[in-house]
Amino acid sequence: MKRLIGPQSVLRLPSARIAIVVLLGIAVLTAFGSTLAPQNPLTINANALFQGPGAHHLLGTDYLGRDVLSRLMAGTRLSVLTALEAVGIGLVLGTGPGIATVFLGRWFDFAANRVTDALMTLPYIFFAVAVTAALGNGLVQAMVPVGILLAPFFFRITRAATLEHARAQYVEAAELMGASKLHVVRVHVLRKVLPTIAVTTASMTAAALLAVSFLTFLGIGVQPPAPTWGGVLSSDLDYLAQAPWAPFIPGALIAVTVGALNALADAFRDRRGAGTLAAQPGPIIRTHSTLEPADDDRQSQVA
Amino acid sequence: MSVVSIPPSAGATPPRRTPAGRIAPGRAGRPGTPPRRRRSRIVAARLGGGLAVLVPIVLISSFITYSLGALSNSDPAATILGQDAATPAAVARLNRTLGLNHPLIVQYWNWLTQAVHGNLGRSYFTQIPVAQSIAQRLPVDLSIAVLAVILAAVIGGSAGTIAAIRRGGWFDRGVTVVCSAASTLPAFVVGIILVVLFAVTAHLLPANGYVGPSTSIAQWLAHIILPSLALSLAVSADIARQLRTSLVEVLEQNYIVGARVRGLPYRRILVRHALRNAAGPALTILGNDFPLMLAGAVAAEAVFSLPGLGQLLLQSAQTRDIPVVQGLLLVVSCFVIVVNLIVNTTLNWLYRSDDGIGT
Amino acid sequence: MPFPRRAVRRSALRDTAAPFADTAAPLAGTSVRRSAPRHATVRRSALAGAAVLALSLAAAACGSSAGSTAGSASSATAGATGTVNWEWELPTSWDPVTSSAGWDVHALGLVYASLTMLDPHGTVEPGLATSWKYAANGKSVTFTLRPGLKFTDGTPLNAQAVKENIERGQKQSNSNIASELAVISKVVVNSPTSFTLDLAGVDYQIPDLLAGKDGMMVSPAAFTKNPGSLPTHPVGAGPFKLTSYVPDSHADLVRNPGYWDASQIHLANFTVQSITQPEQILAALQSGQVNVAYIAGNQVASAKAAGFKIAVIPSEVVNELDIQTTTAPFNKPDVVKAINYAINRQAILQVQASGYGAVSYQPFPKGFVGYNPALASLYPYNPAKAKQLLAQAGYPNGVKITLSTVSTSDSLAEQLQSQLKQVGISVTIKDIPAATETQYLYLDKTIPLAIDGTAGRNSPVEMLDVLYSQQGLMNVNGKTSTTSTTVTQALNQALTVPLGSGSYPSTLQKAVSTAVTNDPIHIWLYTNPRIFAYSPKVTGIPYDLVQQRWEGVRVAG
Repeated sequence: MKRLIGPQSVLRLPSARIAIVVLLGIAVLTAFGSTLAPQNPLTINANALFQGPGAHHLLGTDYLGRDVLSRLMAGTRLSVLTALEAVGIGLVLGTGPGIATVFLGRWFDFAANRVTDALMTLPYIFFAVAVTAALGNGLVQAMVPVGILLAPFFFRITRAATLEHARAQYVEAAELMGASKLHVVRVHVLRKVLPTIAVTTASMTAAALLAVSFLTFLGIGVQPPAPTWGGVLSSDLDYLAQAPWAPFIPGALIAVTVGALNALADAFRDRRGAGTLAAQPGPIIRTHSTLEPADDDRQSQVA
Repeated sequence: MSVVSIPPSAGATPPRRTPAGRIAPGRAGRPGTPPRRRRSRIVAARLGGGLAVLVPIVLISSFITYSLGALSNSDPAATILGQDAATPAAVARLNRTLGLNHPLIVQYWNWLTQAVHGNLGRSYFTQIPVAQSIAQRLPVDLSIAVLAVILAAVIGGSAGTIAAIRRGGWFDRGVTVVCSAASTLPAFVVGIILVVLFAVTAHLLPANGYVGPSTSIAQWLAHIILPSLALSLAVSADIARQLRTSLVEVLEQNYIVGARVRGLPYRRILVRHALRNAAGPALTILGNDFPLMLAGAVAAEAVFSLPGLGQLLLQSAQTRDIPVVQGLLLVVSCFVIVVNLIVNTTLNWLYRSDDGIGT
Repeated sequence: MPFPRRAVRRSALRDTAAPFADTAAPLAGTSVRRSAPRHATVRRSALAGAAVLALSLAAAACGSSAGSTAGSASSATAGATGTVNWEWELPTSWDPVTSSAGWDVHALGLVYASLTMLDPHGTVEPGLATSWKYAANGKSVTFTLRPGLKFTDGTPLNAQAVKENIERGQKQSNSNIASELAVISKVVVNSPTSFTLDLAGVDYQIPDLLAGKDGMMVSPAAFTKNPGSLPTHPVGAGPFKLTSYVPDSHADLVRNPGYWDASQIHLANFTVQSITQPEQILAALQSGQVNVAYIAGNQVASAKAAGFKIAVIPSEVVNELDIQTTTAPFNKPDVVKAINYAINRQAILQVQASGYGAVSYQPFPKGFVGYNPALASLYPYNPAKAKQLLAQAGYPNGVKITLSTVSTSDSLAEQLQSQLKQVGISVTIKDIPAATETQYLYLDKTIPLAIDGTAGRNSPVEMLDVLYSQQGLMNVNGKTSTTSTTVTQALNQALTVPLGSGSYPSTLQKAVSTAVTNDPIHIWLYTNPRIFAYSPKVTGIPYDLVQQRWEGVRVAG
């Protein structure tokens, strides 16, 4: 059987290559950002407030005369790691049940779908802020709810992919030949579903990065003077009178990173061609019950 | 936007989307009307299924919402009483009054039944009824969200249509590029860019504050146009892309070609046939995004300092004003549920007869 | 644990609200100021003024009076032309009794005349009252009013009206000045132009007190008919009359020819416009939407470059930190001293206010009667000494502290954090919601270290009382320790010296230094001038320390 995707084939797309270069850069910043930063991101310079980009400060200085480039570099780690934290939570909470639900029977499926629907009605920003209100303010606390709200996306996509493969004839054949359910899941389903999960993970990381930027922009979980992308953006907004160009820099950084992740996800999706599952923005709540008509649907599909 | 919306993949997304939530009975045995009895059974199953879906969703999401308060380590009685008056006896008395001495599930049920009657409790901090605070601020976000949807439909719709008609041309390519860029820009970044461009640099529009439509329609529009624009940009991009893709496909269909051959005016073909059939997926995006825009309005509020739900949320999160937080979450999630249902039902109804599109 | 900062940043400045008024009017505000840098701390603390607790007063003394001068009347009425369009915060209420921010006094002064006034240096002078005389025992004071005064609605402004005003301020249930007026036990009307205030104790600061909101006279016809309308429809006897008012937007006023000092008012019209975003203020000046605007220090350069004139007007506003010297580690005097020495106030002034203002170690600005020159450089920046003091206090390896701030002062908090780090004090910044600050900082007194500021008071002794006395609102130690008798005595001493007497300045200054050195519960940072950028067509803006006035201001065609 032909491999569904290969990194090589994806890399042939220029957009994917650019995206990977950008993401590698972000990865380097995440690991070594504070070390590589040209200046101490915390050093206040009373004589260099609101300087524009120049030789000494490549991206200018902020309201305390701190070097913006260094702050953004040092702020990468917190922004990226917390985004990954949320994605990790979503991945674990979403994919497991997503695969399991296909094999655990209708009632589990029904319940899991209803919880998914319910979670999707909670806008992440409201939910995350509400959780910090309840549990105390911190970036970690704020990203757990974001992760929980990412889980439904993983769940739905994994479930759909698993459903597709689990009902495939070769799987039925394997079952008929006496393969255990676990074996079927592991060998046949999981391997087929993984690419879908990978694509979803890339899109979800983009979404999580936006979420973390927005939360830090709102001041959730930021402990000064630690810099974050959203935090830098937020303070820029307060000093537009002095430096109207300032917010463009962190804004562009966020947009480029998110764009790279999306481009990568798209590239994978494109390579895999038609018939594979794209991450479509389905309805938030599916009005049909998975208990009744959908079941009909499934039978008819198999029939 | 906003609910961690998956930026719907770039132009390459397969155009095959069924209008939202549509059950695809077509697969079972394409049309030929089913026997009447079977049809009524399906309808009943759908209705029952719908309720079976809706009720648990509302219960689950409201329970999550309520239990957040129970998880919190804040001490409402102490908050209300203030440090001096918070003697153990007074705290116990107040906890009884607030019903906080009951088990969680009982508290939840009481809260929910009260909520159904429009009573979301009172703010711990200001003692103002939560429902009143929310009602005061809801119009701000609704104004922005509704205008954003309209803008997205107009901007995205016309860009997508023109791009499809002139596909391959400079406009088409331009739209593609702008759309890719726009969908990576979060609303709060777009908002800031708009502030810089229109308010700080050009002094054209106010960059913050809110004026109700009852005071002055012109002022109201002037204050919400930038936030709405910020919010609508990403959705406009999605709509333009989606509409372009499906319109291109529809325009290549035989019946359109046929109509052109028959010499029908192009404009009429476009509006009557092509757009009508191609609009489904784009409308779905719009419909699904609308309730999320209410939440997305938080971003716009933050940038433009509008006195909306988001500001209320942040303020009450700071003061750990749990009833307000719970009330907000409940109202917003119910709003999402209800609007989503309405949108899906409308779309189903609109497209009830042309199963053929997009499948 | 920091809290969401952005929300606060917007709302903090609204600063509505005496602590309790909060509950009445809060979340409804429709405009929220975004960036604080302009007057953050100031307005916040201004509200403290509204909530000042009753002062306990004691002692004895002699009589005092102030000379009377009548405005040289007549003339000029016909010559009043031009309009000042002033960018300034609109008041929380146009009713001086329910106004909940000390800051409001500037806007209210347009509509209301007060019984006395403060000159540019904060010294009391006649207003509606031409003279006053204390009884020999200092327990009552008799004021003489100008004859023939009238409110803009035609109601006579006589002693009876004053009595009704003071009694309303004391009794109206939502009055925010009741505690300040509590020292007045009885108002006796002697004649239409004379009244006597019987005091609960000796208090020579009454003429100062009546120069502010407490002494602003409202037409009794207006408040007996409908006190609920006053917050939006004020009726006073001030230099201007309000003609239209759009909350959160602007107020239009016209000259009041019946104002007792109308000959000094050369403006035909006046508007107050609230522009909530700092970056738009300059634009408003350039477009001519306003011709006098309140700006932040860091906007001065661009305003000058755009051709506007700048007035840096000294004000009573001083930024400071409230510090609980009863809470560890601040219970060690050396730690507090170390913090004082570790702060580079000059650098802070440079960054926070672009150098406008002055480094300060005391509650009053230079030039004010209470300013004590001996304190001019109490804690010069000396990180080495700070480290040494820390070691002495038992923290040779540094110490961790938490600094609370309403996020309007983020930038200041971060700068302090960085300066203190250099001497080994690591600071965690904790954002507190503006709405709860009054409660926790002033009433519960549960915040050990907070960025704060004072907007000043009409009476300097009242200011000291608020800051240092046992029951003072801003005495953050007030619940856990007793104010030393040295400080209490010094404060009481200052109350019992008549304002005009030769020993008043020295007594007041001694009280200042006694309080500042014995009770280091306030770490004074820098004074905050009122900076106006204005069109060259505007001339004669007076430099008033306490309340901005408009007598003598002209606008050329």
